[in-house]
Amino acid sequence: MKMIIGENIVKSFSAGNETHPVLGGVSLKINEGEFISIMGPSGSGKTTLMYAVSGMDSIDSGTVLFDGRNLSALSEKELSDIRRTKMGFVFQQPTLLKNLNILDNIILPAMRDNKKNAAKTMEKARALMKKVGISELEKRDITEVSGGQLQRAGICRAVMSQPKIIFGDEPTGALNSTSAQKIMDILSDINTEGTAVMLVTHDAKVAARTERIMFMCDGSIVSELRFKKFNGTGMEDRIKAITAKMREIGI
Amino acid sequence: MYYRIIRNDMLKSKLITMTTMIFVAVAAMLVSLSAILVVNLSGSINMLMDQAKTPHFMQMHSGAIDTRRLADFAEQNSLVDEFQVLEFLNVDGAQIVINGNSLADSVQDNGFTTQSEKFDYLLDLDGNVITVFDGEIYIPVSYMKDGTGKVGDTISINGKKLTVAGFLRDSQMNSLLASSKRFLVSENDYAAIKDSGSTEYLIEFRLKNMSEISTFETAYTSAGLEANGPTITYPLFKMLNAISDGLMIAVLLLVSTLIVAITFMCIHFTLLAKIEDDYREIGVMKAIGLQASDLKKIYLVKYAVIAAAGCMLGFALSFVFRGLLLENIRLYMGESEHASFAFVFGIVGILIVFLAMIAYVNHVLKRFRKISAAHAIRFGTSQGKAAGAKHFRLSRNRLLTTNTFLGVKDVLARKSLYATMLAVLIISTFIIIVPQNLYNTISSKSFITYMGIGSSDMRIDIQQTSHISEKAAEIVKVMERDSSISKYAVLTTKTFNAKAADGTEQGIKIELGDHSVLPVQYSEGRAPVAEDEIALSTMNADDLGIKVGDVMTLVIDGKEKDFTVRGVYSDVTNGGKTAKAVFSDDSADIMWSVIYAKLSDPSLAEAKTSEYADRFHFAKVSHIDEYVAQTFGSTISSVGKASDTSIAVALMIAGLVILLFMKMLVAKDSYSIAVMKSVGFTDSDIAMQYISRSVFVLMAGMVLGTLLANTLGEVLAGAVISSFGASSFQFVDHPLSMYPLLLMIGTVLIATMLGTWGAGQIKIAANMKE
Repeated sequence: MKMIIGENIVKSFSAGNETHPVLGGVSLKINEGEFISIMGPSGSGKTTLMYAVSGMDSIDSGTVLFDGRNLSALSEKELSDIRRTKMGFVFQQPTLLKNLNILDNIILPAMRDNKKNAAKTMEKARALMKKVGISELEKRDITEVSGGQLQRAGICRAVMSQPKIIFGDEPTGALNSTSAQKIMDILSDINTEGTAVMLVTHDAKVAARTERIMFMCDGSIVSELRFKKFNGTGMEDRIKAITAKMREIGI
Repeated sequence: MYYRIIRNDMLKSKLITMTTMIFVAVAAMLVSLSAILVVNLSGSINMLMDQAKTPHFMQMHSGAIDTRRLADFAEQNSLVDEFQVLEFLNVDGAQIVINGNSLADSVQDNGFTTQSEKFDYLLDLDGNVITVFDGEIYIPVSYMKDGTGKVGDTISINGKKLTVAGFLRDSQMNSLLASSKRFLVSENDYAAIKDSGSTEYLIEFRLKNMSEISTFETAYTSAGLEANGPTITYPLFKMLNAISDGLMIAVLLLVSTLIVAITFMCIHFTLLAKIEDDYREIGVMKAIGLQASDLKKIYLVKYAVIAAAGCMLGFALSFVFRGLLLENIRLYMGESEHASFAFVFGIVGILIVFLAMIAYVNHVLKRFRKISAAHAIRFGTSQGKAAGAKHFRLSRNRLLTTNTFLGVKDVLARKSLYATMLAVLIISTFIIIVPQNLYNTISSKSFITYMGIGSSDMRIDIQQTSHISEKAAEIVKVMERDSSISKYAVLTTKTFNAKAADGTEQGIKIELGDHSVLPVQYSEGRAPVAEDEIALSTMNADDLGIKVGDVMTLVIDGKEKDFTVRGVYSDVTNGGKTAKAVFSDDSADIMWSVIYAKLSDPSLAEAKTSEYADRFHFAKVSHIDEYVAQTFGSTISSVGKASDTSIAVALMIAGLVILLFMKMLVAKDSYSIAVMKSVGFTDSDIAMQYISRSVFVLMAGMVLGTLLANTLGEVLAGAVISSFGASSFQFVDHPLSMYPLLLMIGTVLIATMLGTWGAGQIKIAANMKE
């Protein structure tokens, strides 16, 4: 089932009098439960595409349908509601609020809607924290834990509402390889449970864990690669295939 | 290079630069205006009193007078330079008709006099001694101001018609607080109207050396000369002249101090925010060996430019407004003798504001030295985390909505940032409440009890007439039968001699009667009840060096008698030197009697006043509200104006500062706002969070401001009030004082909403890419 259908998405940024086209009419479809990644050189429009299909940024023309609803036609409030209930976001830098401790950051969006079920929310948050291995950190301030731990807390926050899709913008970009490995394991688990995941990445090792890789260049999707769902084996081959593809399209 | 950096910096933060400059300008303007006013007021008073040659010592006297004896005394006393006795023809207000309106409602003792020959001249509005011709009359300048009369009007005194030729300044009786007003007529006209009223004498002395007034006063009293009336000395004349405008200056100075304080806080906040923004850069500069003082210099120069521009603007503005504020002084007292000094003082005031600004910026910038290069580069922010907020957790919050929680949490976590806003709100609340309470208090009816006037609805004065006690008894008889009068008290004033500690005797006016019926406010102790008890006015108590509980000796009918002082009260009537006792006496002459009456239905006061006035022509009957309005009217209205102005100023300051603050906060918080939005918080959620911050700080500010107003503010207001004679003082609570605070809540909410408007515009995409 198609969850996201993007048609002919155009987006440009203007600096002073000049406008720089970033997305030149991109179309894509994402299925429910799919695990996909976008690769491409810096400035190719990967992140912009992700912001466009998640409704985080407006687009100049084209349409993005999420669950059958045209995101451009929705009000700011409706977009917020969708972000809070159906989408989760994980960024390169963990985007947690400085004022709140780890637990409070994780439960923040859930508490906005559902203060009555605070106990349930807390229970769920603790279960998630245990799952990603940060349960002993719940009372820590965000300046008191490592980057990898913060990223895991960010993922907990993103999956609290049981979203249909998690968007990840280089979620492992600022982490060492062990931490990155751990994050990818968590994202894979989440995907196995039925949540779609869309990642933007430079890292072939990260992309190799996904089942479909889109390659972008100068604002367009130039190629695509499909794998089976990752089951812990065949990593080397998948990486080889990705690097070959990249060489082929000249990235 | 400095020029470019500073210019770019200012262009980037136009709004903040402008606001800071405006605050400096307003502060500079007010300080400079106060300085100019002080110089002008004191200069004008001195000039007026010099030109008019105001007496150094004056004894008012009614009744028989022995001019020879007085002249001999003056001749023999080596302190006396000049001496004269002026006549003051006291005419009942009803007999004086200006353009068809009588002065019957006036509580002033209106009277007529001729131009003096030696000193105590009545001056025209150009400061010249008036020469008055037959058929002409000059009227007091205060009647010009309130529109009672104008040049060309006809005044009829008991049928004799005179034409108003101009207005006069009276260095003794200009002020509304002086209870008499002198009209100037020619010798011939004076003789013609002489039978229309009773003559009072102004026995006046100018001394060779003004510092010896009190020695002379004692000499005069102990000589047992004419003393049936109040005694007034040069310093009291001066004070009477200064009160109304002096109050205005005090308010201006207070407001300018507060605005300087607010300007400091804005600078504090802007600088801290700026340092925070540049934190990493400052760290890098330090790390590569540059000196923080270079950076410091840039900021210092920037603020010097803002301060200089603001000060110049303020000085220019003070020229625009000085005319307006000097109007009253010019009208009542004329030009100042050192008007050119005023200019210099204005500049000095502005320089002080400028230097204070620079010193303050310099002080704030000391933080540069404390920044650790390593820490700055690693974290990019200062780690000012408040310990108290750590335990305030969302996971434990059950009470507040999540948005409110986040708002409150932010305030608690960044206390030092919100301290500025809190301080501004405390000050705004303070400057709303204090002048307003002061106004409500002095305009409230009970306030007169602080001023030595019993709480009542009607006041009947019987003076300058014969058979005072019989006349008082006549009124009392009517009052007894009058069911609408619930309480009354007859107070009869007589003069006795009091023995001071050194054995010398001093005349003291004592009000005899029952003082417990319609009591005044005692600043210490209570009203005298027993025959051997007495209460003194603050001025008398200070003069005689007597405290509550002390014993003082009076000479009554040649015999000494001891009295215990039971109470001390404030008094502004009769020169402030009075006493109260209950003993009965037949030996001394009655100077005057006052009957205070309280009505069962106060709304009848007006009707009763005219009823008694019609019935008893010999007495002056006044509705107490009117009495208060005419005595303190101009003071009350200047305080009222000041209070309205301070409400407007406070609201404007609160609105502006909050608006700015919120704008800066949104800019500073753009990352957090983007994070919130990315996890699904709506614009209205975020607006709610900011409103919660504002409301939280606002509540704290209003509570603290109100507390401060009722403690420090009361003391301050008390100081203002005691400057005109009342010694103990408490605010009267008034339901109206809530409205300006509601206005303030509204202003803060609107400012918050306007200031956080930009939060909706923050793009997640643009702010998440670090």
